[in-house]
This record gives sequence, C-alpha cells and structure tokens, in this order.
Amino acid sequence: MVGLFVALKLRLISGGMRGDTQRVLGFVFSCLAALVVAGGGFLLLSLLRLASAQVAADVGVIAFTGLLVFWATVPLLAFGVDDTLDPAKLALFPLRTRQLATGMFAASVTGIWPAASFLVTAGALVGLARGIGGVLLGIVAVLLQFALCIVASRLITTALSGLLRSRRGRDLLAVGVIVFVLMAQLPNLIVNRGLAGDPLAMVHSIASVLRWTPSGWAAHAISDGGLVGLAELVALAALVLALGWLWIRALSRALVTTDASTQAASVRRSSGLLDRILPDGRVAAVVAKELKYARRDPRGRVGWFASIAVTGVLAFSISGQGQGSGPGAAIGPACVGALMMGIQQCNIFGIDGRSLWMNAVVYGDSRDLRGDVAGRHLGVAIIAAPVLIALSVLGAVFSGGFETVLPAVLTAWGVLGVGLGVGALTSVLVPYTVPDRLNAFTGAAPGQGGVAFVASIGAMIVTALLALPVVLPVLLGVTWMSVVALPYGLALAWAGRVLASRIGYPRMPELLAAISKPT
Amino acid sequence: MTQAVRTEGLFKRFGQQVAVAGVNFTVPAGSFAGLVGPNGAGKTTTLSMITGLLRPDGGLAEVGGVDVWRDPVQVKARIGVLPEGLRLFERLSGRELLHYNGRLRGIPKAEVERRAEELLRVMDLTGSADKLVVDYSTGMRKKIGLAAALLHNPAVLFLDEPFEGVDPVSANILTEVLQRYTASGSTVIFSSHVMELVERLCDWVSVMSGGTIVAQGPIDEVRAGRSLNQAFLDLVGVRQGGEEGLTWLGSSSH
Repeated sequence: MVGLFVALKLRLISGGMRGDTQRVLGFVFSCLAALVVAGGGFLLLSLLRLASAQVAADVGVIAFTGLLVFWATVPLLAFGVDDTLDPAKLALFPLRTRQLATGMFAASVTGIWPAASFLVTAGALVGLARGIGGVLLGIVAVLLQFALCIVASRLITTALSGLLRSRRGRDLLAVGVIVFVLMAQLPNLIVNRGLAGDPLAMVHSIASVLRWTPSGWAAHAISDGGLVGLAELVALAALVLALGWLWIRALSRALVTTDASTQAASVRRSSGLLDRILPDGRVAAVVAKELKYARRDPRGRVGWFASIAVTGVLAFSISGQGQGSGPGAAIGPACVGALMMGIQQCNIFGIDGRSLWMNAVVYGDSRDLRGDVAGRHLGVAIIAAPVLIALSVLGAVFSGGFETVLPAVLTAWGVLGVGLGVGALTSVLVPYTVPDRLNAFTGAAPGQGGVAFVASIGAMIVTALLALPVVLPVLLGVTWMSVVALPYGLALAWAGRVLASRIGYPRMPELLAAISKPT
Repeated sequence: MTQAVRTEGLFKRFGQQVAVAGVNFTVPAGSFAGLVGPNGAGKTTTLSMITGLLRPDGGLAEVGGVDVWRDPVQVKARIGVLPEGLRLFERLSGRELLHYNGRLRGIPKAEVERRAEELLRVMDLTGSADKLVVDYSTGMRKKIGLAAALLHNPAVLFLDEPFEGVDPVSANILTEVLQRYTASGSTVIFSSHVMELVERLCDWVSVMSGGTIVAQGPIDEVRAGRSLNQAFLDLVGVRQGGEEGLTWLGSSSH
C-alpha cells in the first residue's frame, strides 16, 4: 500500500510535466531550488557547530519552529498542487482509514520539498549535537521533528479540506495569503525601525519562548543530549502519535462530509449611489460590475490589499530610516501606491477571463470598447482616489508635515492616470490569462509567465518614465507642479483609452483567446 | 426562403490541425435548427466563428445576409449567444448578470429590469436571483445564460450544447422557452449530442463530421425513414464493434 502511494505520487509528478517544456523547466528549476535550500540549510545548521553551545541551541530552536510553521501553512496555501493530498479523490477506493493514512503519509513524504526539508532538519544533527548522547537522541529527534512537520501539515489540510473545497473557504484563504506575506515582513520592519537591541539577546529571548513548543523540544533534545532530552523526545513521540490519530479521525470525517458551498448566502440587492449619478448605459454597467468584482473576487481584493499594504509598509520604513525630511518622504509613498495600483491595471480584461465573450458579442466598433475601458478606469478611480488621499495623509503623519497632503494627493492621482493609460495599452497589446486559483499570487496561465512579466514590468517602466516629468519636480520640492500632474494624468489616461480601443477592437477575438487559456 | 445563417467555405486551423475544413452551413430563417456531430467535429469552432468570437482563417459567414466580419455592429445587435463551457461573470448574482448584459447593449435601465424579472420568473430562477452565479448548478447556469442571451430579443439565437448536464426539469423549461421563441418566427441554432432531443425539437438539422458538413436539410430528409440516431451513425461512419474482447464483463463469467 505504501509503495503504491509513493508510486502514485511519483507518477503524478512526472505526469504533471509531460509534453510541456515550460513545466519541465519549472520542475528542473524547483529541483535546483530545493537542492540549494537543502544544501544551504544543511550547511547553515551544521555551521552552528562553530558557534557557542548556547547560541547554537537557540538558533536550532528557532529554525525547527520555523520549519514547523512553514509546513503547517505553506501546503495549505498551495492546496490543489498535489492530487494525493485531497482525500476526496480517494474516497471511492476500498481502503481502510488506517491504510489511507499510512499511504497518504508516505505520499506526502515523497517529493523534492519534503526531502529538502528532511536534509535541512538533519543539519541540526551536525550543528547542535555535542557528544554521543546528543547524536543518538539527535537521530530520533530529527526523525520525530520531520514526522511532526508532515503530520501537522496533513492534519491541518485534511481538517480544512472541506472548507478548502468550498468557494467561500478558498476566497477567504486567498486573502489569508496576504496576511501571511505581511507577517513575513514583520521581522524586517522591526529590525528596520531599530526596535531590536542586541541581536543575540533577541534571539535568546525568542528561543526561550519557542523552546517550549514541540519543535523546540526536538531541537533542545539534540543540544541537551541527556535525560531531559530523552523525556522531551518521549513527549514529542506521544504528540506525533496523537496528531496522527487526530489526522485519521479528520480523514474519516472528511471522506463522508459534503461541500455545502452551493447553499451560499444571497448578495445584497442594491443599485448604488453611483448608478443614480452616472448616465444610464454601458459605462455605468461596467463601473457597477467592476466595483462588485473588486469586492467579491478574491483576486480583486488581494490586488488592492497588496498595493495598499506595500505602500503602508514603505511609508512606515522610509520614515523609520530617518530620511523623513523633505516632501519626498511624504509624497513618495502615495506616488508609489498610485504606481502599484496602475500596474495592477496592466491587464484589465484578465480578471474577466473567459466571460469577456459577453462583452465581445456586443461591441461592434472601437467606440464601444473605449466606453468599456472608460468604465473600468472610472471603477478603479472610484476606489483608488480616496485610498490615495488616505495614503497621502498617512505619509504626512509619518513625516510630520501636513502641508504636503494636497500636492501628494494631486501628484498621486496624476500618476494613477498615467498608469491607467499605459495599462489600457498593455491590456490590449500583451493580454494574458489570470488563473482563478486559490493562490491569488499565481500570475498567469502556464506558458504565459513571460507575457505577464513583460506586461507588468513594461507597464511599470513606461508609467514611471511618463510620470517622471511631473513627479520629479514635486519630489524635489517644486510642489506647485502637482497642479499640472492631475490634468497630465487625465490626458494620458484618455490617450491610452483611445489608442487601446483602436488597437484592441480589431484584435478582440485574439484578445479573448489570450485571456481564456486553460489554467 | 431567406437564410438566417449562411457560411461558405468557412475554414479554421489550429497549428497543424484543421478544425473546420470549409463548412457550408445554412439555416433558413424561422427554423429550430440542430447542429449535431461527434466530439471534435468542429461544431463549437463553427459557431464561434459565426458569432464573431473566433476569427476564421478563410471563408464567409453571414447572419441575415450581413457579413459577420465586415459589419459586426449590425450582426451583433441581432444575435444572442450561449457559448459552450458556461463562461459567465461568476461574481455577479443572476439578476446582476442580466442587468449588466442588458445595459451593456444599451437597453434603458427600467426596461432591462422589467425584462430581467420576467425572464427570471419564466426560468424559475426568482428564488436564486440574488445568489452569485459561481454558486449556481449547471442547470441554473444554462438557464441564466439563456436568459442573458434572450434579453435583447435577438433575431437569431446560437446555443452551444445548451442541454449538456441539465436536469430534466430545467431542460423542460429551456425547451418551452425556445419553442415559444421560434414560434414567433425567430431562429434557434443549437449544437448537441443528444439525438432524441434534436429529433423532438428541430425541423432543420446539419450533421458535422471531421470539420465538414456531411448532411444538411429538413430533418425528415436527413433521416430518410431512419431514426436520427441511426442516420447520424450511418453518416458519421461508425465502426460497429464491441463484440470481441471484454469476455470477463457481465455476470455470466461468475
């Protein structure tokens, strides 16, 4: 049974890249990456041998906890990559839960990343063990830590698999990814703000807390190498078994419970304020749809969250590094925010994807398409304009001068306009498919990664260059130039729309094909 | 009789593979027409090229005597489309989808709302009108797709596999609406695998195989006394097999 599952997993890995150069390259790349991670991690952990026993023990504890957290969260965010992970696919086979559990455990141990992570863990054996007791306990500890990672990760994905299969659960998780990425920025921010004093003391204080987590026991057992270590390992083994038991329970439950996502709640029926203000017609219809999508589509939410968060972090760290003098520090973040929001619009039809046919069967000339693009721009502006005001105020708060708020807002709006104009062009010139996946950061359909890269980097560079004539003087202190920025941005956005609709309308079937690639 | 749809030598290739090899497809105005053929015969490709969603590599496509690719404004105003694969705006509710579609076509808001409510009622979707389309079942999606395609009262309606995966109750609603619609003189063209359905509903049938039309005409002519299923199998040239092998299958081997 174990052999069968391992073979299934290997077959899935090899089948996943059959006949597709892009995927083979991707696989080779991730193999290399795994090799680097495994080798580097092993080396780094074994180099702890050179450090003092105390430091080695502390770093070991942190590293083991990091591995556990990684295993608990990342497979969750990448759910759907691996078919052996979803118990529902195996539900019809005559397997006992215990067989299923051992089989799935074996399958999850198989793979390049589990192997890499096992090697990294094994590095601790070299780095932490001092003496023969440490080595003996260490071997057990490394195996237990590895098993703990796998079982914990399995338990979490299985327990949540019902939720993950439902539409609402996936929507939630997509936004959760953002939080996760932001959390990863936290240590960086703390260091940046100079909140930490002596790094070694900080490591020690973190380790002294983490030392009491299960992965902390494993690391501590290796460096301890005595009776305390032994006791810790016994406790750890008991915990792994308990988690394994819980996992089996969760597995047998997951196999017989259903996905209830079709009984989803209704949405509010509303024709917003905007609908009453805007003249009835195509533009109003597109604006209303865009605003709904920004709210309801996880990809829309993730995009907005990401640009706001990045800008916030940027404003915070610029002011933290003591460069908070001059208008640049206050105006810069808002402009970067506008640039980020502009780049997100470099593939405006992408989120519509295959459903864009509904628009394509209506539009009979380029004016129709221009109205559509204008609606999308207006929708973006309705969200972005107040956000940019907030970011400008935030920048002013961090740099301590409120006289910069008005120029910052005007300049940022101008940059946004430039970004929208450029984005309209890239949307019709280099359109690509945006996969509707759990992982909202997945950029493009297989084979279109290059196109997506060209579109977003191209849009960013061109936007930055075109925005420079009005932004640079403002950043350098000629703040009255910000009065020019807004009309400049509006003019470029208009020009972008005209050009894009002229180029895009004749290419409508090709555009439709480019954004509806299978993902 | 005037032609609602006419193509001449319509041609499309994807890389090496010729998907549609010179199709001469005609449908008389006012007919309920079926386009049948095995998987990969080129039905979807043909319909996409006639509805302006896929550019042909050669040939002519006309709807109501107007060239689809030369005068798209006129053609697009007169056709309604339900493409294959249920591609809809998933994050709108059913009602919002209809409103969006109608206003996109420039119909005044009040009129769109009136028509949408009626369509939702006829399609038996009033109860789920405020749920997101992403949470709809297959039958509900086909119904809301048909409602969206009918909203602007098109002269010709193109439906790609409208009954695939649809429960009998929803299928019944779909056929009733379509029969009412053709009774008024409008044209319906739909592709399908289900011969019984085509036989029951259609008065005109076109059979596609290997990228060409192999038979076309009033359904009784194409059938020529056989059942449509038999006529189809004869036309497409199916291997009559299934006798050899599989000796272990069935209860006799126990």
